[in-house]
This record gives sequence, C-alpha cells and structure tokens, in this order.
Amino acid sequence: MREQLEQLRNGAVQAIAAATTVEQLQEIRITLLGRKGELTALMKGLGSLSAEERPVIGQLVNSVRDEIESALGTALAAAQENLIAERLSSERIDISLPGRRPLRGTKHPISLVIEEVSAIFAGLGFSVAEGPEIEHDWYNFEALNFPPEHPARDMQDTFFVENSMLLRTHTSPVQIRTMLKQKPPVRIIAPGTVYRCDSDATHSPMFHQIEGLMVDTGVTFGDLKGILTVFTNQLFGQKTGVRLRPSYFPFTEPSAEVDIACVICGGKGCRVCKNSGWLEILGAGMVDPEVYRHVQYDAEQISGFAFGMGIERIAMLKYGISDMRLLFENDVRFLRQF
Amino acid sequence: MNVTYNWLKEFVDFSETPDELAALLTMLGLEVDSMVKLGEGLDDVVVARVEEKRQHPNADKLSLCKVNNGKEIVDVVCGAQNFTQGATVALAQIGSVLPGDFKIKRSKIRGEESCGMLCSDKELGLADESAGIMVLDADIAPLGTPIFTALGLKDTLLEIGLTPNRSDCLSVIGIARDLAAKLGVQLKPLATTLPEAGEPVGSFIKVTIDNPELCPRYAARYISGCTIAPSPEWLVKRLTSIGIRSINNVVDVTNLIMMELGQPLHAFDCDRLAGKQVVVRTAGEGELFTTLDNQQRTLQATDLVICDAERPVALAGVMGGLNSEIELTTTAILLESAFFKPAAIRKTAKRLGLHTESSHRFERGIDIDSVGRALDRAAALIVELAGGTVAQGALDVYPGNSERTPITFRPERANGLIGITLERSEILDILIRLQCRIAENSDGSVSVIPPHYRLDIEREIDLIEEVARLNGYDKIPATMPIARVVSDRPSRHQEIEKLVRELLVQNSMTEIINFSFTSADAAGKLLLSDDDPRRVAIKLANPLVDEHSVMRTTLLPGLLETTAKNMSFRSLDLKLFEMRRVYFPGEGDNMPHEPLCVVGAISGSRDGDGWSRPQEAVDFYDAKGIVESLLESLEIGGVSWNSEQVESYYHPGKSCSIFAGRDYIGSVGELHPTVQKNFGIEKTVFCFELNFEKLVKLSRTKKTITAPSRFPDSSRDIAMLVPDEVPASKIIDCVKAEKAKEIEQVQIFDVYCGAGVPAGQRSIAIRIRYRSFERTLAEEEIVALHKRVVTNLVNKLPVTVR
Ligand SMILES: [Zn+2]
Repeated sequence: MREQLEQLRNGAVQAIAAATTVEQLQEIRITLLGRKGELTALMKGLGSLSAEERPVIGQLVNSVRDEIESALGTALAAAQENLIAERLSSERIDISLPGRRPLRGTKHPISLVIEEVSAIFAGLGFSVAEGPEIEHDWYNFEALNFPPEHPARDMQDTFFVENSMLLRTHTSPVQIRTMLKQKPPVRIIAPGTVYRCDSDATHSPMFHQIEGLMVDTGVTFGDLKGILTVFTNQLFGQKTGVRLRPSYFPFTEPSAEVDIACVICGGKGCRVCKNSGWLEILGAGMVDPEVYRHVQYDAEQISGFAFGMGIERIAMLKYGISDMRLLFENDVRFLRQF
Repeated sequence: MNVTYNWLKEFVDFSETPDELAALLTMLGLEVDSMVKLGEGLDDVVVARVEEKRQHPNADKLSLCKVNNGKEIVDVVCGAQNFTQGATVALAQIGSVLPGDFKIKRSKIRGEESCGMLCSDKELGLADESAGIMVLDADIAPLGTPIFTALGLKDTLLEIGLTPNRSDCLSVIGIARDLAAKLGVQLKPLATTLPEAGEPVGSFIKVTIDNPELCPRYAARYISGCTIAPSPEWLVKRLTSIGIRSINNVVDVTNLIMMELGQPLHAFDCDRLAGKQVVVRTAGEGELFTTLDNQQRTLQATDLVICDAERPVALAGVMGGLNSEIELTTTAILLESAFFKPAAIRKTAKRLGLHTESSHRFERGIDIDSVGRALDRAAALIVELAGGTVAQGALDVYPGNSERTPITFRPERANGLIGITLERSEILDILIRLQCRIAENSDGSVSVIPPHYRLDIEREIDLIEEVARLNGYDKIPATMPIARVVSDRPSRHQEIEKLVRELLVQNSMTEIINFSFTSADAAGKLLLSDDDPRRVAIKLANPLVDEHSVMRTTLLPGLLETTAKNMSFRSLDLKLFEMRRVYFPGEGDNMPHEPLCVVGAISGSRDGDGWSRPQEAVDFYDAKGIVESLLESLEIGGVSWNSEQVESYYHPGKSCSIFAGRDYIGSVGELHPTVQKNFGIEKTVFCFELNFEKLVKLSRTKKTITAPSRFPDSSRDIAMLVPDEVPASKIIDCVKAEKAKEIEQVQIFDVYCGAGVPAGQRSIAIRIRYRSFERTLAEEEIVALHKRVVTNLVNKLPVTVR
C-alpha cells in the first residue's frame, strides 16, 4: 500500500507538471481525487489493514492528498494567470475609431447668454421679470418719457399692429409694468425679444435685450457704475476695463453709454472697436423722475437706476461672431458648435 | 454733426491734439463716431517746381520733366499739357500712397525713368474731376512743403453722433461752447460789423405772422444790388471739409452760418415776392407747392408756410420754393432767420419725407435768442462776398416772451444722486461755466436760469446731469448699493422653461430661434381648416417684407422652413426644437395672448453617422419618446394618445393628439406629405408640438418615490395574435386593470407581422414581471395570478394567445 501511494504521488507530480491548461489540471484532479478517483479507491482499501497500520497509512494518504491538492492549486493558479496573460496579449481593438454616442444637443447662443447674464444678476439679488411683446404705446413710449411726436422716438423705428398697439422696441416697458405692480425695493432684470423696423448687416428686425432696474432708497449713479463693473467683469473677465460716458435716453437721467475695453484687441484698437479700444455694450442711467411720476413713485423718497443691453451684441463678442445674421439663420452647422 | 479741428479753434482756444480732442468730446457726451484726418499719409506729396520740360523721345503726348522738390532734382514723366517750364506743381514722391490706395513707385515709361508723379486735384481727392495737373501759385509755400499744409487743408474732420436732446450742438459754436465749459475757458468773441445804408427795411417789405404759436419769431433783412457768383475758394473749401456742396455765394453763406451758429437761414429772390410782403401762415388743405428740389407737394392745414401776397414761397423751416429761389440774375435778397415750433416742423418734414439740415435743426429746437445774430452775421458776409447794400434795420417780429422759468436746484441733491462729494462752489461753478444764471435762495437752494440754447435743461434733474457730465463720469466712484434683502425665487413658469430646454437638449436636440413674424400664407401651407383660430393672425401695419407680415400663431412654419433649409445644406440628420411665443389677438380691448409653445422636428438617422451599427432612420416612436420623457420629467400624469382627432399637417395614420386628463396638450406625428412638399422638405420629418402653458399648469412639483422591493422577481411572457384595430396600449391597460400589486412591470418586447401571422393581425409579445414587496412569491401564487391575467386578456380583448 505504501508503495502504491508513493507511486500515485510521483505519477501525480509528473502529470501536474506536464499539464498546461486549466482543463488538463481539472481532469487530473478528477482522476486522482474525484469520487471515483485513484486516491479515493486506495482509501477504500484502508479497511483491510491492521489496527496498527491503519493510522499510519491513513496519515500517509492524507499527506499525499494534501500534497497533490497544493500542487494542483499552484499549477491551476499559474495556468489561470497564463490564460489571462494570453488573452491580454492577443486581444486588441482600434481605439482610434470614434466612440458611440448620441448626438449632442445644444442651446441657442441667445439662450446661453440670457442664462449667463441672468445667473450673474441672480447672484446680485435681481429676479427675472417678463412682459408682453405686443405693447401699448403708453408702456413702450409715453410712460418712459417719450412724448408723442418726440424726436427720441426716431431712435427706435417701430412696427405697428392693429388696435394702435406696437411691437415693443425695447424691454424697458417691463420696468413700467413691474413698478406699477410693486413698491420699492425693486431689483429685476427682464430678458426678452424686441423689434425694430430696420434690417441690414448690423440690424435685425427682431433681436433681444436684457433690461435691469433697481429702485430703493439712496441708490446712486456710483452704485450703477459699481453694479455694471461687477457684471462686466464677471461676464468678460476680471480685468475688463469699464467706461461710462454721457448719453441720452428719455427715461433715464443722468444717462450713460457703457463701454468695455475691447475684448478683441485688449484696448489697443482694432477693426471691431473701430480703433477706439472701447466697445459699447449697454445703455444705462438713473431712472428719470418723469418715469416715477407715471408709476406713482415719489422721486424725493427713492432713487434707482436702469440699464439695457443687446444680447446679440454680447453673444457676438463672447463667441467672436462677426455677422449678426448667423444668429437667426438656424444653420445646425453653426448652432451645434455651442 | 460734422465739425473740423481748425474750425473749432476759431471759436475756442485749446491745446489738445485731434485725438485728445475726440476723447474729450466723447466723454462730454458728444460722441466722436469717426475722425478723418484730411491729407493724412499724403505728406510725401510736396510743392515742387518744374525746372525743365521737354518732349518724351518715344511718345508724342508725354513730356520729360526735371522737377525740384526742394532737396534734389528728380526725373518725372508727365502726360498733362496744362503747365509750362517753371510751373509750381504738386509732386507725389516715390513711396507716397494717393487716395484709392494708389502707390507711387519708380517706373520706366516708354523707356524713360520716372521718379514720381505730378498730381491733379482729382488724384489728391480734392475734386471729382480735373482737367490737368494742379498748378499752384509760385509763392504758395517753400519747395518741399507737404501740399495739404501748403493749401491750408491740413485739418481733422470730426463726425459727432449727437443724441436728440443736444440740439444746441448742431453747430460749431455749440460744440465750442461745451468744450469751453469743460475746459473752463471763454469763447472767443464773434465780431460782426454790418454796414447798413439807404432806406429802412420797412419800406421794402412787410412781415405778418398769422400763427405766432407756430412761429414765435421771424426776422428778415433786405439786401439789394447783389451779384450772384461762385463762392471764393476759402468758402468752398470750408463747406467741402464738412461735406456740403458749394452752390453760389449767397446760398453758401446761409449754409455756412447755419453750420457755424446752428440757425437755418433762407434767402429769397425778393423781386419774385409778390406784393413785397411776407406772411407766415398755415397752408390751405390740399394747397399745391413746388419745393426747391422740383417736387410738387400737396400741403395740409397743419403745415406752416411762408407766403408772399399771393402764394406760398417756402415750406417753413423745411425747404424753400422754386418760385422764389436765388438765381444767377437775382440782385435783391430777402434773408430770413426765424424760429419755428419744433413739433410743427417735425410733423411736416416727416409726412413729406423731407429731411433737410434746416428741418433737422428746427425739429430739435434752435436758439431763439440768436436768431438776430445769425441774420446779421449772414447779411454782413453776403455783402462782403456778393456786394450790394443792406437796408437799414431788421424786420424782427418777436411777439412772445421768451424769458425762461428759473429751476430750483439743490446742490446737495446733485452730490447725493450722483454719489460724489463736490463742494457747493464747485457745483455752482459748473453751472456758471455752462452760462446758467444763478441766484441763491434763502433755503439753501439755488434758482437757475439756463441759457436759451439749452432747451434740454428744464428740471433739477437736468442740471444734476450737467454737473455729472461736466465734472466727468470718470470721476464718479464705483460703489456697491446698500440694498434690502428680498426673497424671490424664479417663477414656476421660468423654472419649467429652463427645465424643458434642458431636457430637450439632453435628448440631442438643437435649439433654433426664428423671427416672430411669418408670411400670411403660412396657415394655408399647413392645410389648416378655414375656421382654425390659427388663421387669425395679428398683422403688422408696416412690415419690412411680405414674408414677415403677420405675427405667427404657430411655431411650425418657422421650424419647417429651418428644416428645409438645413436639408438643402446636406445636414440631413436633424433634431431641432424651438421654444418661443406665439401671438393671438385679444378679444375686444384685451391684450393679445402670447403663450409660449414648444415644437420639435426630427429626421434622418437616429444616431448620426456611425461605423458600428447599420444606420436606422428615426420614426414616429422617436418623436413620441422625446415627448414621453418630457412629460414624465414634468410629472404630468393621466396622459393619453388619441389618433382619432389629429392636426391637418400630419399623416393621418401616423400621428396623434396628446391629452393629459381632459386637457389637450399637444400632438406628435409624421408630417403630411403635402405639407412636406409645401415647405420644400426633401425627407420625411416627424414633429411634435406642445402647449407650454398647459405643461406648466399640469406639471406637479411633488414626486412620489417608493423604496424598491428586496424580494426576488419572476417574469412570464405572453405572445398573442392581436387584430390591427386593437391598439397595443389596450393590452397593457388590460393587464394593469388587474390592479394586482404583485405586477411590478408590464412591457411590450416584440411586435411582429409577416410570415406566420395572419393578415390584419400582429403578433405582440409582452413580459410581465411579478414581485411582492412583502415576501418571496411562491410558484403556485405566480402561476395562479398569471393565469388570471391571461384569461382576462382573452375574455376582454379579441386576442388569441399563441
Ligand atoms: Zn479692438
């Protein structure tokens, strides 16, 4: 019996060493250690041994089995590792082929600018207000201190519709609607679509503006400068120079045009800024007392400022678009870049 | 308003360079739109003398010249004939660049070297046509002097974009005044000496004003014995420098004084005025009148006209009449200087589409106080240039009182509103520099009377603006306001708008923005029925083009036009959406409705270009899927899809209306082939349309979340033959009607028709997943439940289980 065990062990060691695949090793395990395996068969012979021999041989059987198990385990692990190594060295894909992905959707650049500007002003405590695009003359002009027949009306070529209404020429009527609805403090911005009866390379009959209005006690022109400086720095970069210069709007006084240092040339002068180094981006001013009169605010008690900017202009500067018409041609080859 | 640097210097002393001056004016609110430096880059064109001129050996019409430029003698070949040896000429030297980007280079002309060019007026941009080269006075300037310097033309033209309130700056003196106020210097005095002679003016002509409210002041002078002739060179040059064409000496003087002082003037041929009188009155309704530009105008009763004893001779403040125009034979002149009411002039000019330099100034308001000064200055210049005699005195009818009301002004309020801390004296000094008259009041305020020409200053706030402007906007510190905290989150409408845009973009869609106006026939192209409310659109009274003549009532035409256009550019895989307003007339006096709508269109392959899978075209279910995911995200429940009533613009068999409960919220479907053709779309398109306002109304903010079951599931499949007329949704509804809480999910996983399936039927396979929240379901329970489901299906629907 001893010899038989010895033989079995040697045979097993050789077989395990010779085996190369996981399948061969598993076969060896079944042949030797399985229910009908050789070692199992030998163990059945233990019963015929004497009481003295039985424990000795039994111990030997166990040690042979442990030895085979351990050799099998090591070989199996090595074979599995080989298998993985072989897989890794043989499998190759062309990673340069494009990935599989859904088409990327995009927001219109006008929407993107409105969202960005609104977010900046939300951070300054301004909420978003809206108003109708088809307006009464009173909200669009008269309450904003454009009396009938006033030359300032020529600044804004107006589309008229039936019932003596018009397409709003600016987002400023939202100021009036807001102040008629609520008492100070007022802090709103009003993005929206506006219309002017004018069409060429730099004018579109439909475009977009964002209006801003802040009315409270003790608001100064310096505060307007502060708010607009913070805004332009957030939109165009921390070091963007800002310049206010006198201008005229019927509904603000004092009024200002707000220029930023040219984002194209950095202020040195280029074609976009007509060599001035400055780009006009918005109009602003202190709300005119005449406007307060129309909304029954007391100009002696409160003060405030308003500002308005063209969204197309900002989009064009932000994205380096030279022709405004691109924004309304809706060519997906253009829109999918945003 | 155009003004030149040198011209301004005649009115005010300053040391700023043209660039510095432009910056200064811009910061004063007189924005310099552009600057043209006359003669800039032409310094290499110099005064030179032709020392020798001889025939070109190889060309009859050319001559060889030895030209002295003050430093050396150069050879120049010249083709002009209008000069002789010894002539003083303008030599464009090698390297100079003439207007029109014409570079002067060394060249050989018919074998002879030429080192420059002798220039004509035209070549230097000084005239439209020239007969030969420019021949100058021998003593004009030393040889080698730049030609523009020698001609006194070195100047800078400033084009100033004036805001409508600054009518006082529609003149050189106006801009000089503001500049002087800013710099704190005095204007140079305007000296006018007017020699008067002979009879008093009243013996030649009478003036009557019928409408003093429209014409508060009318002044005139009579000049006899004039000779109409071309203007002298200096006057032509000055007018040309600001872009005004020279006509004759008298008309040029009126234009010059208008530009200089801002007062429009008109010169009549006095011999052509019937009855030797002037009447200022309103026109008769329908009265005909021919203006200087030879156009016959039909007047209205609101138009103000200047008449002689019989007929109108000028459209007041707008344009003179052909019947009294200055001609070469004119000798007696009536010179008019008046103030007309801005609104009246504006009305007439606007109605007749006749915008002149004169009407522009009257419309915005001129200085009623300087009516007489301009008249005298022009009369003096006319006799200087055209000879003649100015009659004694001026007719000056000035019935009204023009004294201005004082404005109460509080200096501390100026500081407070602007956010600056100027001394009271500094503030008052600014107003004094602006020629305001000031009187202190006992309460600390000041009474301020602004000058007549500042019609824009009427209120305290106008004075505050002047303080901010003259002190400089750049000196105002940027501060952050101290504000009260207000709590305000975006409205539900705004939040959902943002969310929907976000969701559609996540669904691979590209946002488009079309104009809000469309063509009147858009509704027809969509095959809308005659009584469809979308056929009633708000019309523009003054559209720019017919294609943009009405406000859209649906976003579809814009979307479909965009689709067609993109396809024509070979962008065939399209997923487009637009979320914008549409416009419906209000009832009666109500405001129009402007509801927000959402539309989408998809076409082409589902995943764009790919290499790994066969290209699959999008279909109805892709469009429906986008809508489904949108409705799910908005938590809109009770959605049903109804194929019985569909919009006219869809394929009737491949479209449906969408309801949430009883509310119609939109539609989805394949575009009708006729509509597709109407919009010129090449490929099949699937569209959806949603009423955004309904989405806001129906969306729920509250989501119901349940924890998932921790017990194992068990799925059972059922395949059945379903007649075509039974919608698949009925099968799902039928299973769900079982209301067994162990039914976790019902899913259609196969729809098949073809071989093995009888005609008129489909094979539909569903998978039901059973799972309990409380325990592991026993096999028997599942079998029993499933059997009940199958029995129910077979009993309630005309289906056969396979
Ligand atoms: Zn630039």
